[in-house]
Amino acid sequence: MPSDDLADEASPLNDKQNGGDDLSDPATAEARLQEEARRLRKKPISVGTRGVRDVTEDFVAASEQLQPGELVKDEYFTLFEAVGALEIMDPKMDSGRIPPGDSFEPDFDVCAGLNARQVLWIMDELFRLEMSFQDGYPLSQNIFTSLHVFRLLAPENRHPYHLRFNGPSAKDETTVELQLVHFVLSAYCIAVVKCVQCTLSSIQTYTYYEEEDFVTYLFGRELLPKLSAVDATRLLIDAADWLETSGLDEPVRDAIRLRLLAREELLTSMDSTDEGIDEWDKFRAKIRDIRQQHELATPVPDAFSDKVQRQLATSTPPRPMPQLSWDQACDKWLHLCDDILATRALTSFRIRQSPHCLQRATWAFAYRQPPPSTYARAKMQETLTAGDCVAGEVSHFDLMLTDIRDLVLAGDPLADPASFQVEVPSDPRHRASRLIEDFMSRMFGEYLNLYRMVCQNRCRMRRTFTQTLPIFDELETVAHEVDEQLNEIVVPRLVQDMSGNWHKHCPLSTWLRLHKLQIMIWTIQLGFETDLYLPDELREIFTVLEHLTRTRLSCLIQMELFVVKKLQLPEAGKLSRDDKEQCRSSSEWIKSLSLQEQVNVTLSSLLSSFCTTLEDLALIDARSKPYSQSQLRYEARYKPFLGLQWDSVPALEDLERQGRAEAITLSEIQQICTSYAEAIKTTRGMLGELKNMNPTQAKYVGTEEEWKKGIKSLETTCVAISVAASQLQRICEKHKDKLDRLGEVAEVSFPVPEKRYHVWWVVPQLKEK
Amino acid sequence: MSETHQHDATTTKRPAGNLRYVCYGNDKESPYLPAIKQLISKDLSEPYSIYVYRYFLYQWSDLCFMTLDEQDNLIGVIVCKLEPHRGGPMRGYIAMLATQQEYRGQGIATKLVRMAVDAMIAKDADEIALETEIDNIPSLRIYERLGFIRTKRLHRYYLNGNTAYRLILYLKPGIPYKPTYPPDYPHMEGDDAQNPAQGLLGEDLIQRQAAQLQIEEVHGQRHDLLQASG
Repeated sequence: MPSDDLADEASPLNDKQNGGDDLSDPATAEARLQEEARRLRKKPISVGTRGVRDVTEDFVAASEQLQPGELVKDEYFTLFEAVGALEIMDPKMDSGRIPPGDSFEPDFDVCAGLNARQVLWIMDELFRLEMSFQDGYPLSQNIFTSLHVFRLLAPENRHPYHLRFNGPSAKDETTVELQLVHFVLSAYCIAVVKCVQCTLSSIQTYTYYEEEDFVTYLFGRELLPKLSAVDATRLLIDAADWLETSGLDEPVRDAIRLRLLAREELLTSMDSTDEGIDEWDKFRAKIRDIRQQHELATPVPDAFSDKVQRQLATSTPPRPMPQLSWDQACDKWLHLCDDILATRALTSFRIRQSPHCLQRATWAFAYRQPPPSTYARAKMQETLTAGDCVAGEVSHFDLMLTDIRDLVLAGDPLADPASFQVEVPSDPRHRASRLIEDFMSRMFGEYLNLYRMVCQNRCRMRRTFTQTLPIFDELETVAHEVDEQLNEIVVPRLVQDMSGNWHKHCPLSTWLRLHKLQIMIWTIQLGFETDLYLPDELREIFTVLEHLTRTRLSCLIQMELFVVKKLQLPEAGKLSRDDKEQCRSSSEWIKSLSLQEQVNVTLSSLLSSFCTTLEDLALIDARSKPYSQSQLRYEARYKPFLGLQWDSVPALEDLERQGRAEAITLSEIQQICTSYAEAIKTTRGMLGELKNMNPTQAKYVGTEEEWKKGIKSLETTCVAISVAASQLQRICEKHKDKLDRLGEVAEVSFPVPEKRYHVWWVVPQLKEK
Repeated sequence: MSETHQHDATTTKRPAGNLRYVCYGNDKESPYLPAIKQLISKDLSEPYSIYVYRYFLYQWSDLCFMTLDEQDNLIGVIVCKLEPHRGGPMRGYIAMLATQQEYRGQGIATKLVRMAVDAMIAKDADEIALETEIDNIPSLRIYERLGFIRTKRLHRYYLNGNTAYRLILYLKPGIPYKPTYPPDYPHMEGDDAQNPAQGLLGEDLIQRQAAQLQIEEVHGQRHDLLQASG
């Protein structure tokens, strides 16, 4: 019971916060709770003055004044707080409840000796449960259920964290069984706890989403704070040395020893950010033997208990958690090692020299199957960003400058790193590089997000893209200003396009716009991947996608014009060999981007047209819905793009269908389907051209397999469109008298993302009923 | 969760017959409360406390609708709230919806949703939101046929690790342009200042925690509660 003054402190915070705020907002609730906690901390409770009073009678008397169902709450009481209420003694809600006849604490003596096979089993059980922690489930339901671990973490335990709080040291234990527990198992448990700590520290250093990616909550426990990971590895090595002299049977002794050594390698790897020191590959190599030796173990299920949850601080009941089998856990450990090793391979020297290769590699990492865990994604972010460098080597400044140079300033002194070293204030290179530097420093955060966002879970990837758009939009204004200023320092380049129009070179705004349009396109494509669009939205969404890809394509064509012209102008003779090489490489790169974008344009245009035809035939039900109003639906669907000043999606009137005067005819359908064949042939030709570009030209160094697979899946998508179109034509020809009610004889389905040839391209499938 | 995702093809259907649709009304403790609690929590392995039901019913009793049979047995129920979202638009929120298993597939849930939506429109709502599990097809169908669209996929949204869709229906123009305000946080002292900003312990988290305590979970639980064809 709180004393009176304490109760006052916890009284409603009516003097604080909330004025005019959304009172039921859970975040406000959080703020309020934090404020209460802060106040409580500020005023230390003196145990001596703390009184205890039985308020039962007062409570009963007060509650009799109320009608049943009357809610007693202040105006700051939120849904969040309502949900936090538990019904005491309800077995489903009250995790502290002890059923009749049960004991409060588990009936297992963690200090008692165990034989080697039992110790082996407990080690393996921890290894298995650790994977469930790595999968993002709360510690209270996996590692903390080990009574040995729980004992080590007891609040009253002190450094050097023995299982016996005040007993003799492990070396003085009298039997081999006791030494196995107090020396070997204890060292192993301590190292597991340190691995947990390393995992949490990595994850919490980088961007992740609490609960949905990972539960980092410690339930009020500390993870052996006075003992370092290095101390823990020493304990493991000491334990492994002791085993040698223990006189235990060889197979089981070797099995335990292997686990100690593997754990030592794991902990060293997790504790280190230095690629040179870690031992992921060595650890990985031991998993096979660990898996096989498991049959030597004798189960001791009583060494684990959910009863520990009764002593842990929490506001949520235990959650459903899938039970991993031993084999599943071993497989997941292998995947984890592979993912971590992939973070190295995908940021290797060859890759990280090129921002575009690195961008592709980051996507390749994100699309590994099975999807990389939160920890592996944190390690990828670490490799990409720690120390403001990629893999500790390529500075972010160089990365971004290379990106700008490759796309808009190839062979140009403006993007030459040497220009940034010029210190003579009157030198145009000095003045220009200060402007570019200034722009880059404003741009850095969002530029690096292009890599970081890809390391988030797929749903968040899309959402962070939508959130970055307004920022890019604002920066585009800045980029235009800087371009203006640059064009006052250096003579602006002008080029004439094929139609005779002149264009002024505006490098930074062009560069930024290209990336921004890419994000807009990805937002739509990830919408397809996360299955956000209903069949009756597809026609429109494909039209929007076609618009965006077409816009980006024209941006690319103009960029190509500048770099190609640069090599053709009379001044080209003055360019150094390196500069010419930069221009050539840039034009090839832009060419490959244009080809890729052209493929996107054709596919989105084809699919938009195909869905239109399906609507005409009433195979897609595009009738209006009871509460749907087109303007409002448009606003809800395109919210991320509305309000951007530089580029947006087409206006609603441009997206709305013009009603057909007459019903669609068979010859129209035949004509449409024939026209597809030509477009698909062109698309496949472009894919063929892309296939012939080498990794340096199209910048897919290090992700050659993914590049091939990507093209292959686009080719298959083309085939799928052909098949769907000819199927439609065939059905229409067969039932030409039923074109106004084709739904009677045919039906269309839309493959879910996993069933598509490419997750970003949903191709309707037709079949006869 | 104890509930499995099977569609109850084998259950015998009861004809909708003479059902009545009524508003929960102003009764502070309606005789239907125990039945509502029972119907909604039937398939939840961690039901929420009576307090959660009262939270909604006490404040938004006019946004709760019930389907009753001739003997006044509770056949279906919908529970909602309506309040400003982040200081911006007036957001209606459908928190719970359930139909007795043997009455599913007869449009009862759709009718309840329509009554709730109409009531929220009458009370000047700007938009209506809800979440539902991605594989809860019957539930998605009900809302999507009425005009709701999927605006976000929410990774591992529920306590059981399942992923959800956020569904939205705008009722007034200009919602995307309405400013919303990120929540204020009190200035933190001591250890809490270490709170890693990148951990994104923001509003999203709190909302999800609320969800994971299953306040908004009922949608996910209606997997076979809603066989309705809309």
